[in-house]
Amino acid sequence: MLTYNLKIALKSLRRNPVLTALLIGAIALGICVSTSFVTLRHLYTQDFLPGKSDEVFYVQLDTWGAERPFNEDRPELLPDLMTYRDARNLMQSKIPVRQSPMYITQYFVHPDPKMARPFQANVRLATSDFFEMFRLPFRYGGPWTKAADAKPEAVAVIDHETNEKVFGGENSVGKTIRLEERYFRVVGVLAPFRPALRVWELNRNPTGPPEPVYIPFNFTQPLEVPLAGNASSWKQETLDTYEQFLNSEMVWLQYWVELPDEASQRAYKEWLDHYARDQKKLGRFPRPVVRTSLSTIPQIIERNKFIPESVTTMSIVSLLFLVVCSVNLIGILLGKFLARVPEVSVRRALGASRAQIFWQHVVECELIGVAGGALGILLSLGLLEVLAKFVHSGEALRLDGEMLLVAGFLSLVAGLVAGVYPAWRVCSVPPAMQLKVQ
Amino acid sequence: MLEMKNIKKIYRTESVATHALEDLTLTVTAGEFVSVTGPSGSGKTTFLNVAGLLDTFDSGSYILDGKDVSRLSDKEMSQMRNRAIGFIFQSFNLIPDLNVFDNVDVPLRYRGLGAKERKERIERALEMVGLSARLKHLPSQLSGGQQQRVAIARVLAGDPKLILADEPTGNLDSLMTREIMDLLGRINQSGTTIVMVTHSPECAERAHRQLHVFDGRVVDLERPRVTLASGNTSAGLAATLR
Repeated sequence: MLTYNLKIALKSLRRNPVLTALLIGAIALGICVSTSFVTLRHLYTQDFLPGKSDEVFYVQLDTWGAERPFNEDRPELLPDLMTYRDARNLMQSKIPVRQSPMYITQYFVHPDPKMARPFQANVRLATSDFFEMFRLPFRYGGPWTKAADAKPEAVAVIDHETNEKVFGGENSVGKTIRLEERYFRVVGVLAPFRPALRVWELNRNPTGPPEPVYIPFNFTQPLEVPLAGNASSWKQETLDTYEQFLNSEMVWLQYWVELPDEASQRAYKEWLDHYARDQKKLGRFPRPVVRTSLSTIPQIIERNKFIPESVTTMSIVSLLFLVVCSVNLIGILLGKFLARVPEVSVRRALGASRAQIFWQHVVECELIGVAGGALGILLSLGLLEVLAKFVHSGEALRLDGEMLLVAGFLSLVAGLVAGVYPAWRVCSVPPAMQLKVQ
Repeated sequence: MLEMKNIKKIYRTESVATHALEDLTLTVTAGEFVSVTGPSGSGKTTFLNVAGLLDTFDSGSYILDGKDVSRLSDKEMSQMRNRAIGFIFQSFNLIPDLNVFDNVDVPLRYRGLGAKERKERIERALEMVGLSARLKHLPSQLSGGQQQRVAIARVLAGDPKLILADEPTGNLDSLMTREIMDLLGRINQSGTTIVMVTHSPECAERAHRQLHVFDGRVVDLERPRVTLASGNTSAGLAATLR
C-alpha cells in the first residue's frame, strides 16, 4: 500500500507544481536553518573522544597558598595548571596506562631556503603517550618511542601543513627538521586534522588549531625551553635562572592521564591524594585542606562553559522556526486536501477505510517533508559555510552522518506536523458527501 | 441480500430537521434487479447511500449480506463496500488523473490483491465492457458512455454481490442509455443483485421490480415484468415493502 500511496502522492504533487514548490520550499527553509544551527551546537557538544571520554582525565593539585584560594570568585576551583616539580613527580606513577605533562613553546622552523622562508610555529612538548591518548591521526609514521621520551631523542612529529611547507607534502619520516638551531628527526606526520576543540588544551584557546610541531617533554630542562603562555604563582620567589623557574611554585603545565577502568581511577586518585598529603608534610601545599582533582573532558567543558549560551539559544530558535514553517503549511495543505474531497469520497465508496485515506495523505506530506529536507540539507551546506566565518573552530563546522540523520528526522517531523491535521480532516469527511455532485 | 426495517434518516441543521428516510422497510433478495424511482428530494439517493454504507441512519435496522450494519466499524464497513458492493454513479466518478487501467485498479488496491491478480481482473473487466483498447486513456479522453463503462468495469473487477447504481444513465444519450442498460441486464443475469435509482421510466421498466420512493418512504410496488433468465426466479417477490 505504501508504494501505491507514494504513486498517488507523486501524481498529486505533479498536479500543481507551483504549490508543490511552495510547500517544499517552506520545509527546505526550515530544515536549512534548523539543521545549520543544530550542527553548530553539535560542533561544541559532540563526544570529542568517542568511547574514551570517561577514561582520559585532567589532573589538578591544589598547590596554592594558604591565604586565599586560586580563584577567589569560585573557591571550589583548583589551580588549572601544575608546577614542573609536581609534573615530574606524577610521572613516577605506574597506574595510568598513558600520561603526559605538556605545554607550548614557540620556535622558528627553518625549512630548506629553496622551499620556504623560516616561520614561527607553536611547538608542543609532551610525551609519546599524548598522541594515542588523544587519538591524533597520522598520515606517515607515528609517535616517537618511550626510549626517545626517556633519553630524550631529538625527534619530532609535525602536522600536515608543516609537512607541506617544509617537505612539499612528501613522506618526510626520517628526514630532519630544524627548530631554531637544533635538528630533529621527523618520526611522524599528522593527517589533516581540525577538531572543533583541542581537548588537550582546554585552558587556553581550545578552539584553535592543533599545534604544527611536537617534541619530547624531557627536552624542557636540557634545552631550557621557554614557555609560550601564562605562568602564575601565589609565592614570591626569585626566578633569575631557568632552574629556579623549574623548581618554583609557578604553575604552567597541563597534566593528563588515561585510566581505563574504575579500579585504576580509584587507585590513581588515592595515589594522588597520598602524594598531596606527603607534599604537605614536606612543607608544600599550604592550603588548609589538601585537594586533588581528576576531571574528564566533558566535565571541564561544562565547568568552563565553552559552549556559548547563544549557540543553544539559536538552536532552539531555529527549531521553533522549523515548527513555524510547518505550521504555516497546515492551512495550505488543508485547502489542497479539502479540494480533493470528491476524489476521497470516491475512494471511500470503493472501499478505502478512513485510516487508509489518512495514511495516503500523510505519505504525501512526508514526501513533501523528505523533498524539503533534501533541499534544506543542500541549502544548509551554504549556510554552514557562512556560519563558519563567524564562529571559533569554523573550519570544523560540517554536516556529519549524525547531523544528516538529525536533518532527515526533522524533515519527517516537519512533514508530519504540517500534514496530520489536514489528513485527519480529509479522512473524516463522510464518504457520501461529494459523490452526487462530482 | 439486503434487509432494511424502519430506517429513519434525518438531516439536521441548526434550525431545520429534514426527514430524508421515514420508516423505510425493504427487502431485496440475492439476484434481484430492483429499480427505485421517485421525484427529486424524495430520498432516493439517501436510500442508496445508506444501503451502500456511505451514510449512517438514525434508527431502524439494516442487515446486509447477513451482517448487522449498525454493529460494523468503519474498517468493516469499508471492507463491505470494497468486497460486497459496487457503485455506479450518474457522473461516473472516475478519478480524473488516473488512466482507465488505474481507475479500475482503485478498489482492487484497497482489497490488497497481488499485482498479477489485479491485472487479470482489470483486463477481464475492461474486455467485458469493450474497452480493452483504452487502458491508457484518461477519463477526459473518453465519451460519457465510455466513462460509464469504465465505471462499470471498476465494479465488475471487484466482483461484488450487490451493485448500487445511482441514475447510471442520467448523463447519457438514448443510444448510450440502451447500451448501459443492456450491460447491467447481462451483469444481473450472471447473478449479481442490482438496485438502481433512476428518473427514467424506460430504465425502471428493465428491472424485475420497481419501487417508488416518496417523502422518504417506499410507497409503490410494481410486480416484476421480466423473468430472470439465470434461475434467480422470483425470490424477490417475497420482498415486503411498506
